Amino acid sequence: MKQRFISSVPIILQLALTTLGLPGQSYPGKPQIIRCRSLEKETFSCWWKPGSDGGLPNNYTLFYSKDSEEKIYECPDYLTSGPNSCYFDKNHTNPWTTYIITVMATNEIGSNSSDPQHVDVTSIVQPDAPVNLSLETNTYANLSYLWAKWSPPPLADASSNSHMYHYELRLKPEEKEEWQTISVGMQTHYEVSSLKAGVKYVVQVRCMLDLGEWSEWSSERSIQIPKERLPPEKPIIIKCRSPEKETFTCWWKPASAGGLLTKHTLLYSKEGEEKVYECPDYKTAGPNSCYFDKKHTSFWTIYNITVRATNEMGSNVSDPHYVDVTYIVQPDPPVNITLELKKSIKRKPYLVLTWSPPPQADVRSGWLTLEYELRLKPEEGEEWETIFVGQQTQCKMFSLNPGKRYIVQIHCKPDHHGLWSEWSPEMYIEIPTDFRVKDMVVWIIVGVLSSLICLIMSWIMIMKGYRMMAFILPPVPGPKIKGIDTHLLETGKSEELLSALGCHGFPPTSDCEELLIEYLEVEDSEDQQLMPSHDTPSKNTKIILKETDSDSGRGSCDSPSLLPVKCRESRSLPSTLQTQDVRAKEKKGGKGSWDTRCAASTSEQKTLPCESKKSCTWLAAQLPSNQAAMFAYHSTVEAFKITLNTTNVNTSPILVGNEESHQSLYPIAETVYDDLEKINEMEYSKTDQTTVQVRQNEHSNKSPFLNPKLMDYVEVHKVRQDEEPTLLLKHKENNEKTKKCTVPGTSKEYTKVSTVVDHHILVLLPDQRSQSTPVSQEPVAETSQNPQQSQAEKNTSYSTTTPSDSRRDTSGSDYMDPSSFMPSFK
Amino acid sequence: MALARAVGRAGERAGSGRAGAHPDIPRPDIPRPDAAALSAGAAAALALLWLLVCAPGDAGCHPLTVADLFDRVIRHSGRIHSLSTALYAELEKHFPPRDNELGRPARKCHTSGMLTPNGKEYAQKIPREELTHVILKLLQAWKEPLSHFNQHIEHHQELPDDSLSKAKQISNMVHELKTGVEKVTEKMQSMGIISNSLNGMASSEDTGLSISNEANMMSDSDFIHCFRRDSNKVQSYLKILKCRIMPENSC
Repeated sequence: MKQRFISSVPIILQLALTTLGLPGQSYPGKPQIIRCRSLEKETFSCWWKPGSDGGLPNNYTLFYSKDSEEKIYECPDYLTSGPNSCYFDKNHTNPWTTYIITVMATNEIGSNSSDPQHVDVTSIVQPDAPVNLSLETNTYANLSYLWAKWSPPPLADASSNSHMYHYELRLKPEEKEEWQTISVGMQTHYEVSSLKAGVKYVVQVRCMLDLGEWSEWSSERSIQIPKERLPPEKPIIIKCRSPEKETFTCWWKPASAGGLLTKHTLLYSKEGEEKVYECPDYKTAGPNSCYFDKKHTSFWTIYNITVRATNEMGSNVSDPHYVDVTYIVQPDPPVNITLELKKSIKRKPYLVLTWSPPPQADVRSGWLTLEYELRLKPEEGEEWETIFVGQQTQCKMFSLNPGKRYIVQIHCKPDHHGLWSEWSPEMYIEIPTDFRVKDMVVWIIVGVLSSLICLIMSWIMIMKGYRMMAFILPPVPGPKIKGIDTHLLETGKSEELLSALGCHGFPPTSDCEELLIEYLEVEDSEDQQLMPSHDTPSKNTKIILKETDSDSGRGSCDSPSLLPVKCRESRSLPSTLQTQDVRAKEKKGGKGSWDTRCAASTSEQKTLPCESKKSCTWLAAQLPSNQAAMFAYHSTVEAFKITLNTTNVNTSPILVGNEESHQSLYPIAETVYDDLEKINEMEYSKTDQTTVQVRQNEHSNKSPFLNPKLMDYVEVHKVRQDEEPTLLLKHKENNEKTKKCTVPGTSKEYTKVSTVVDHHILVLLPDQRSQSTPVSQEPVAETSQNPQQSQAEKNTSYSTTTPSDSRRDTSGSDYMDPSSFMPSFK
Repeated sequence: MALARAVGRAGERAGSGRAGAHPDIPRPDIPRPDAAALSAGAAAALALLWLLVCAPGDAGCHPLTVADLFDRVIRHSGRIHSLSTALYAELEKHFPPRDNELGRPARKCHTSGMLTPNGKEYAQKIPREELTHVILKLLQAWKEPLSHFNQHIEHHQELPDDSLSKAKQISNMVHELKTGVEKVTEKMQSMGIISNSLNGMASSEDTGLSISNEANMMSDSDFIHCFRRDSNKVQSYLKILKCRIMPENSC
């Protein structure tokens, strides 16, 4: 009940107070015992820091208990040690006891207690600082001593003045930071020796009981150690200088004279003279200097100058200073420095600096010639740029950075001897930027315009597409290039172009091989006697003939310039080995012998060019070296051709077509494993009546030379013995295939078998090597213009196929790897 | 004959010219003293050669004004001074003074006895003829001692070749300078700028013998020290003389 009452009282009070409008009144804050300290181990005091008073007057009560007993006592003396303290006198101090001390603050609202403090009197002993420090100096035998005296710290209890203190003394020269500490011992006086004369020293002492801590340092006392009464030290001549090569002045540093009045005298003698003079003028050039006027200044003679310092104890003479006035000329800095910005014709600003020699220097007489050096730097710069300008008194500075503030200084020196003057005061010049801004505008305009042009150019590029490419990368001239199709370049897609150019350099990878198509020539029955000879190679050997690179050297044999020769020769010498097309035409005449030969050579093409020496030599003579491979190729094709030879009439139109278009040849030979047998079958069945229908795209007929959309392959419908073989010419559906029929405007020779589908359809590809067609075929060429005409009535058996396998078709005709047959001629 | 000798000397110096001697006749920027000291030889000789060749009355080259001549001899004397300063430093390095004092006194130059203006006012006061004579006298007084000195220091093994060639160069240049000053004097006399009443060199040559004996007694560095001082005297007198005669000419 009582408890409730007690607890409710403050609340009620608080409420009352808040309603009364006195906020902030609360419990007192927690007081904190700062320290307890014993001065002499017999008494001690404790001090505390009051907490917040809660807005009300507080009462502080100190309670203590001893560790030996349970009883709680209150502080015996709140007054002796000052406010917020408690003094425990001798009677209340027991050095062998630990005191537990708490301070409680109380106000109207409540009370608050500090944390208890455990106090062991012996561990809190710290005396007060000694007092009454006094200093004296004494001098014996030119040495100064310092005599210090002090008293032990006073105690509250005056009766107990029998404590033994240890003392320490420290001292330092007044201007220095580091103290020198001396352990004194028990005595209350000390004598310090080895002091510097003329220095003011500061001294402090402190004390300590045999246990506890050192007291604070006593208050400072200082004393001036008297100066010695000594003769002065050596004065030092700093320098001599002639500002205008007519008079000169010497300066010296006075000797330290220990506070005594010292007089300095300058004495000089001239070279070759014994007489010693005294300085003529001590005043003009200021203290500690001597001015030699014109009368007293001689040139080309050496002055021997000394300075004597004298006081009542004696005198001292400086080291001699030898001076030849000619060589101590150091002029004043140049004056009247003007900085002016001027514009050149090109409106570029340049800086014109002008200055005058120092007024004292009489340069007009020729007696003194000055040389100048100037230095400048941007205001924020670090390094000066120094420019030696010689005897001129003006200088033009070009190539200063606009918009920068420059600092300019000039100094001068006599020519050939003497010293540089001080630098003149800093001069500032700001190089304006407006000159530059105009330039900037021009450049910005130029930049904008050029970027605009670039934009337009690139836009055109995008619009025109690959035409630009052809424009930028025109076909490489030369015979190698003749086979290349410019139309391919122009109209073809890039892949195509690349394939025409690129596969040449490719390694004969398997990928390439995949794309190859066997070249087949359908031959007529007349030559069936040849079949056995090339039966084996065509069947079993996989002969890979890749697309001839139209711009390769090999291709050049197809160029019309070369071919007619070959072809003519072939005509005159039918027995000579020729390109397949030629031979196909002229098979009638004496075909047998060379056919055999070449068939044989074909069979062995990988190892040997041919068996017949004759044909080889002919080739060597006829073809350039790089055409050797071509030969192999031709012969190979020929071999196949023989196997599949149609009648001459049948092939001729195609050949003619090839001839007319100077087109790269795409003879592809590929072994068709299973299907080849079929082909051979067909070959053997000479008696079969075959009808070849060649249907050409109308479009291709229109412009035989330029039309890129020629028919791509001929579809040959093979009719078995009982059926009539049909040859259908089909055009590729779209141009979406990378391989367009690039032969411009020609009828085609469908001599390549692209693929054989369904075991009875043979896809033929057009032979695009027009060059290989001999000139002699021209008469037939006219007939070939019309493919309808050329569709032969002859009996040739073909496998027909649908052009479904476009990939193979396309790729096969794209590639011909020359390297695959190159080795055969090595 | 003298001309021929001068040519030979000039060629010789040009051949052995050190430090890429830049021919700096009308140079806008004055060469720095050290550079000038090194490159003095060939250029100076050529300048003097031109001066000699283009003496008055010589057709084919522009008549040189007295101011030009003065400029040349002043420049020449300046180079001699630079060379001697460099040589003095080298000698001091190799033969440090015994008493180890930098600017020792009491070295008596053999030309100390000459009465020469020792300050600006004096040099401006004395008659032009006399000043000219003083210059010539000084140069004359050094001709012989310098060639003696050359022969003498060739025996110093420890001296670098550079110092030897400097000494030789100085000797030659003093000859040339004297010739140059004589030319200027002649020209001035012919133009009536100064009177012809030069006291003549005879008297100074009399004393020349005695003072060259005196010169032989000096130490090497003292000798060059003295010469350096006199070369500076000559240069200063030449400048004063020029500005007295032609005050308008960059004076």
